[in-house]
Amino acid sequence: MNRFLNLLVVILISSFAFSQSVEFEKENFPGKKDEMKVARHQMDIGMEFYQQGRKEFDDVRKGLMADKLLPVSVRDYLHAGYENFKSAQSPLMDAQKFNPKNARLNYMLGFIRFFDSPGAKEPLGHFADAYRLDPEVEFDLTYWLGWNYHLNANWDEAIKYYTIYLNKCNTKPKSYAAEIEDVQKKINECNTGKKYSANPERVFVDNLGTAINTQYPEYSPAITADEETIIFTARRDNSTGGQRDNDAGYYEDLYISSKLNGKWQASKLLSKNVNTEGHDASAGLSPDGSKLFVYRHSGKDGGDLYESTLFGADWEPPVHMNKNINTKFHESSVSLSFDGKRIFFVSDKSNGIGGRDIYYSDMDLRGEWGPSKNAGTDLNTKYGEEGVFMHPDGVTMYFSSQGHDNMGGYDIFKSEFANGKWGPAINLGYPINGPDDDVFFVVSGSGNRAYFSSAKQGGYGDKDIYKITFLGPEKEPLLSTEDQLLAMVANPISNLKTDVAVEIKTAKLTILKGVITDAKNGQVLEAAIDLIDNDKNEVLATFKSNSATGKYLVTLPSGKNYGIAVKRDGYLFHSENFNIPDNADFQEFTKDVALKKIEVGSVIVLRNIFFDFDKATIRPESANELDRLIKLLNDNPTLKIELGSHTDSKGSDDYNLKLSDNRSKSVVDYLITKGITATRLVAKGYGETKPIDTNDTDAGRQNNRRTEFKILEK
Amino acid sequence: MRFILLLTFVILFSKNYAQDTVKVIKTQTPEELAQQDYNSGLASLNKNEYQSAVDLFTKSLANKPDFDKALYNRGIAYTHLKNYPAATADINKVLIVNPKNADAHFAKAMLFFSQNLKDSTNKSLDNCLAITKYPEAFYYKGLLAYEISDFDEAIKDYSGAIDAKADYAYAYNDRASAKRAKNDYAGAIADYEKALSINPSLVFINNNLGSAYRLNKNYQKSIECYSKAMSDKPEYLLALNNRGAAKLESGKLDDAKKDFEDVLKRDPKNSSAFNNLASVAIKQKDYKKAKDMATKAIELNANNGPAYYNRGIARQMLREEEGSCGDWKKASDLGVTAAKGFVTTDCN
Repeated sequence: MNRFLNLLVVILISSFAFSQSVEFEKENFPGKKDEMKVARHQMDIGMEFYQQGRKEFDDVRKGLMADKLLPVSVRDYLHAGYENFKSAQSPLMDAQKFNPKNARLNYMLGFIRFFDSPGAKEPLGHFADAYRLDPEVEFDLTYWLGWNYHLNANWDEAIKYYTIYLNKCNTKPKSYAAEIEDVQKKINECNTGKKYSANPERVFVDNLGTAINTQYPEYSPAITADEETIIFTARRDNSTGGQRDNDAGYYEDLYISSKLNGKWQASKLLSKNVNTEGHDASAGLSPDGSKLFVYRHSGKDGGDLYESTLFGADWEPPVHMNKNINTKFHESSVSLSFDGKRIFFVSDKSNGIGGRDIYYSDMDLRGEWGPSKNAGTDLNTKYGEEGVFMHPDGVTMYFSSQGHDNMGGYDIFKSEFANGKWGPAINLGYPINGPDDDVFFVVSGSGNRAYFSSAKQGGYGDKDIYKITFLGPEKEPLLSTEDQLLAMVANPISNLKTDVAVEIKTAKLTILKGVITDAKNGQVLEAAIDLIDNDKNEVLATFKSNSATGKYLVTLPSGKNYGIAVKRDGYLFHSENFNIPDNADFQEFTKDVALKKIEVGSVIVLRNIFFDFDKATIRPESANELDRLIKLLNDNPTLKIELGSHTDSKGSDDYNLKLSDNRSKSVVDYLITKGITATRLVAKGYGETKPIDTNDTDAGRQNNRRTEFKILEK
Repeated sequence: MRFILLLTFVILFSKNYAQDTVKVIKTQTPEELAQQDYNSGLASLNKNEYQSAVDLFTKSLANKPDFDKALYNRGIAYTHLKNYPAATADINKVLIVNPKNADAHFAKAMLFFSQNLKDSTNKSLDNCLAITKYPEAFYYKGLLAYEISDFDEAIKDYSGAIDAKADYAYAYNDRASAKRAKNDYAGAIADYEKALSINPSLVFINNNLGSAYRLNKNYQKSIECYSKAMSDKPEYLLALNNRGAAKLESGKLDDAKKDFEDVLKRDPKNSSAFNNLASVAIKQKDYKKAKDMATKAIELNANNGPAYYNRGIARQMLREEEGSCGDWKKASDLGVTAAKGFVTTDCN
């Protein structure tokens, strides 16, 4: 059903376009009868040549197909009909100038130009015009149109026209079985091309430039490990002998070029030892660069392999390889294993898998190559294989094939040998491979670059040699990010611990202040103030009250028993006692002192006379006070005094009276021992009879416990 | 006689200017003076007035030569002043008086740490830890392990610090970073978040957390964390640059570009931002621009390894083979390990 619909579409399209072709008829060129005649004549001449050439071409095609050698690449046609096509081209072009709208003429020009410049814009334009003017002008028009689009990597357009052709062939599948296989393969190739070109490989593919490539075919490069020298095959007009072969191309010769300052120098013919007037082609180079394999074709040998050795700076004459390698068939393309013990080569000898196949041979104990074996169906297909290259890693083979997952013509594949067998052939991808032939792939010693020959568009003519630079996986850019991963770096802080402040153990002070006045008239007095450490019986300091105000201020650090004695000439001294414990808080006392003049009846309390507890024994710390009293008596020798002693109310009256009496006597006795006349002294114990303060408190009782002296006579 | 009060009485009299009181100026005991100077020294130390602190501690020690606190703190002050011999002498004296003084052992460790004497630092930290579980000692042991990329040991030490001090935000942050270095991004994220819960004011932890999320390819959370860091501290351009990186890695090239350009608006000499713009250009296959941006990054910072690396990529794609290899070689010399690989694979 589909087949029927497709055919219907073809017929409909054809019928719409049919009438557009302009034939070489006088009614189509009114007023140009003569010019038309000339043009038609040119057309006839050209067509005659074309038809002869086409017959040759079709014979080649049929022959190939009969041998089940399906022509896959343009070059498989071996320039069939070349001379006739060349003769046809000029008259047809003249006719075309006069009448560019003739479908058949455009078809013929397209065909001729296609095999001269496959995939070029010119033949594509002719075929496209022919199709536009008359799609049915030739049965196979859409095949050639599709192939032109195919060679331009215009995959979708190619598939479109291939499919039209396929549908037409499918109307007679038995008659067109080979054509169907052919076009179906090409459609598959286009689909493969679409797949690979959608995800191109990261490579640079660079034409080696005019030092290497010319308008003629250059191919089969062999490169030294340092990539400084290249040997390759070319079919140039300066080839040895300058003769052309039957396919119209010049005989092959080997050429060589070396780099100078990184640039290839103009290539030259290799040694005359190697090149002959026949076909001499580069077939491979040993990994160490010391052996060059040369393809030669002479007579009926079908093309054989030779081996040349580098001797000094020149290559020795090539030696024919043995019969295990060479047959009556075509042998080409050699690669040695890294150890030189196995040789891989290509041959189209009979009993192969199809077309040219890859074979290998191992070196025997005598150093001769043993019987060859087909490398098997993992590498070889029913179509052609060519350009074998064994990587020095010993496991990877690069080769070209027409029969794997191709995108057109020969593509380059690689396969890895593991576990005793070759792995799947992997297409090296686009843009290494394209719709035309990509062959003779060799990898540089570094592995970063490869060289191969390709007929891809944009070259200098026919096949050129290209360099591939492998870029590897896409290189991700490196962002500048910054983190502060270590807190101590991000935000440094000192972890050194400092101590806490100590509490300063300062002496707590008691402040004593007051005003010194005359007891009788209240006038302020300047007086001397002795500060006595009673514990040590030392006068710590003596200072004076302010003469104008009578004020004084004394600081008394804690922890001591202090005596204070206020003295002024003409006055009785005044004593005070302060016992300030070590733990005493700050305190401030105001003690106004009214000094009494030395007058009969005046009474002074001697605060700094101390006795042992409950005894009448005078304690040593009383010395200062007593000395002051002695001084007073000595300064005033007429004075007569009473030493009176008082107690608090604790204890019995009798006891207190007796204790006070004994204490007053102890003071008198002390004074006597210090030289005071006894008659000037009267001892009197009052017990608890004359309190001056309350006896209900400790402070009051302390006040009441006292020693006084009273002036009895002056 | 030590406790004899030395009282000096200065009695000021004036015939013309009557004084109400007799003034008494009291001088203090050497102990008091030592303590007073010590306290003043401590105040200076806490105000980072280290020389003043040294002077005051020295005064204190003049009155009380065996005052170990003054010796210790003077050692600390000397450490801050980088007068390591003097600091060492003081701390050693403290340790002679009290070999079990953990603070002094730690201070000694810090002295060694300041001088990059790692073995000695470790030994002193161990001495400190033999006395008590001193959190900071654990922390610094972690730091030393981290610096030699012994991340397992670092994690163990930081964990010790955290055991000894549960709210030790720094230790959580650093342990997170060690986990990150071991590609344990989930663990790192958990620790960074804990550190932030302890001290949300530490902006750099939000940045670190953002980067952990970025490495874990959680770009949404990553961008949120960087944005939080930026909002807490708008001048923290490092986070803005990183946010751009997260956006770039998540494929938002235009958004990333805007962040990097914002960085440059605020800091026109930010080499990192220029390099990141080069990264954007490489992603956009604008190799000419990538080369220009990377060149600016290098002009601003001749040691910007990633910029050399990126310029190498751009130059390779611009077919400047020698230039690209030269850049990768430079990047490799600057520690960009990936560049070394390129030199090997692409430059022979």
